[in-house]
Amino acid sequence: MKRTILVRLFAGFLALGGAWVAYTQNPQGKQAPAQTKAPAPFNLIKVADDLYVIDGGQAGNVAIYITNEGVIMVDDKFEQHFDEIMANVKKVTNQPVKYILSTHYHADHSGGNTRWSSIAEIISTRNAHDGIVQHKQSNAPDNMVPARVTFTQETDLFLGGKEVRAKYYGRGHTNGDAFVYFPALKVLHTGDMFTSATPLIDYPGGGSLVEWTKTLDSVMGDKSLDFDTVIPGHGPVSKKADLLTYRNNAEKMRTRVQTLIRQGKNQDDVAKVMTAEYKWQPDSLNMQWSLPGMMTELK
Amino acid sequence: MRRTLLVRLSAVAIALGCAWIAYTQAPPQGKDGKQAKQANNTISKVADDLYAIIGDGGNSTVYVTNEGVILVDDKYEYDGQDIVDKVKSVTNQPIKYVLNTHLHGDHTGSNERFLPTAEIIATKNARDNMVKNKAAGVMRVVFTDETDIFLGGKEVRMKWYGRGHTNGDAVVYFPALRILASGDIGANNGPNVDYANGGSMKEWGATLDGVLKLDFDTVIPGHGPVSKRQYLIDYRDVATKIPATVTSMVREGKGKDDIAKVFTTNGGLWANPNVVNKLDQIMAELKN
Repeated sequence: MKRTILVRLFAGFLALGGAWVAYTQNPQGKQAPAQTKAPAPFNLIKVADDLYVIDGGQAGNVAIYITNEGVIMVDDKFEQHFDEIMANVKKVTNQPVKYILSTHYHADHSGGNTRWSSIAEIISTRNAHDGIVQHKQSNAPDNMVPARVTFTQETDLFLGGKEVRAKYYGRGHTNGDAFVYFPALKVLHTGDMFTSATPLIDYPGGGSLVEWTKTLDSVMGDKSLDFDTVIPGHGPVSKKADLLTYRNNAEKMRTRVQTLIRQGKNQDDVAKVMTAEYKWQPDSLNMQWSLPGMMTELK
Repeated sequence: MRRTLLVRLSAVAIALGCAWIAYTQAPPQGKDGKQAKQANNTISKVADDLYAIIGDGGNSTVYVTNEGVILVDDKYEYDGQDIVDKVKSVTNQPIKYVLNTHLHGDHTGSNERFLPTAEIIATKNARDNMVKNKAAGVMRVVFTDETDIFLGGKEVRMKWYGRGHTNGDAVVYFPALRILASGDIGANNGPNVDYANGGSMKEWGATLDGVLKLDFDTVIPGHGPVSKRQYLIDYRDVATKIPATVTSMVREGKGKDDIAKVFTTNGGLWANPNVVNKLDQIMAELKN
């Protein structure tokens, strides 16, 4: 009996979670297939000494860096993932989360700010702050909380003898994407400038496909960034070579679309090609946020 | 004879008594064995929710919000309690952020006290200098170009514009109030170049050119009274003319004494001991 109740409660929880994701991802009520799936279980992945990734919740990869004066975290997923993130941090350390570095303003990376901001110092780019304040993400919840401390180019954190650097290199996914670098470990968290999906360009949030590759070129050309391992915004922990591949694929996609536009194809024509060749679903955020902006930018 | 003895004894007793009083009444000794100094500061209102604490060391600025206080610079170590008391005299809000304009101990002296309860922020260069100098109260958060703090619906901008007093001078701008806390790139005891910490007379004027792009009416300098924008414009002019004058006089074959004479005659900031006494270093910098 007890077990049945547990199973039912769990099923209820999954359903609620799924409904929440569907709700937040889709204010118009059009349910994209990928977003109605029950959330996958959370995984805690060790990347290096004292550095872990929390993957799950169909939200951005959280990184946690443990020091003897507290934990530095990168991103905090959706608001609903607070307990799950906390539980995973507790699995590997008793240290409290002291700082959260946000890679950008989207709710699947900064939605947790709503809960975390009272217990940790959240730091983001100035543009990421403004994106939340101006509610630039069409499908974000209304209770998003921005960082109190922001930066324009670079901020560095020193905690427990360890150092973490957050840097802005230019536009791409949004106009406020930060890369977070762990110099002692040669690890870079890219936010959504590198994911396991095709580039999602948030043009309403200041993103740019033309700038995207230039920004990645600046990252890979920055001699002060010496990294081997890359934590993408979504997807598995990767290597530096994978970031270069992603950059080159982004360029190919840009060239492909540019060619179509110059051939006189309209937005509907291009949309069909994107679905066929890049699996962009008709109601996806790619179609909502990226395609109209690409039609203008790549003319 | 007996009387003499009595007089002598009482003289000794008085002397001992005085010594005792002197011993017990002496100010407490500081950690380094030096006498701990008494704080001597005044807090005064500059604008709504913004106060200056002026007295010891560098000027502190207090910005009150309904989620906490943002403090610019924290003077010497012995001023820490007085800063807390002065802030308490105007608000019950706790000090949440301390923004250091640069590394020097008359601006960062109470950092150690505030580190456990507040976030202290400075430029990366200021922190590097503190680490190099083994200074106490090194901050956890630094920035390179600009950091903005949002607290209680208010905004404060902290910006780095280039070298001057050191290589890590930040100014703190309060946009809603059109007020600037300049740190020591606008201190009235300068322009005082700290060459050991990356300062530059040559670049000081250009740095202030950048600062003057900010839209402010009032300046709280690192040292000196609260002033108007014109004060910093004049300061920039002097900081620009000093290197030009030194360079051209050196080219004319003029020596240090001639240059010093011009500086003294010009008066004002030119004649500050922190300027005149560093002529050797200033001339050395401007030769390159």
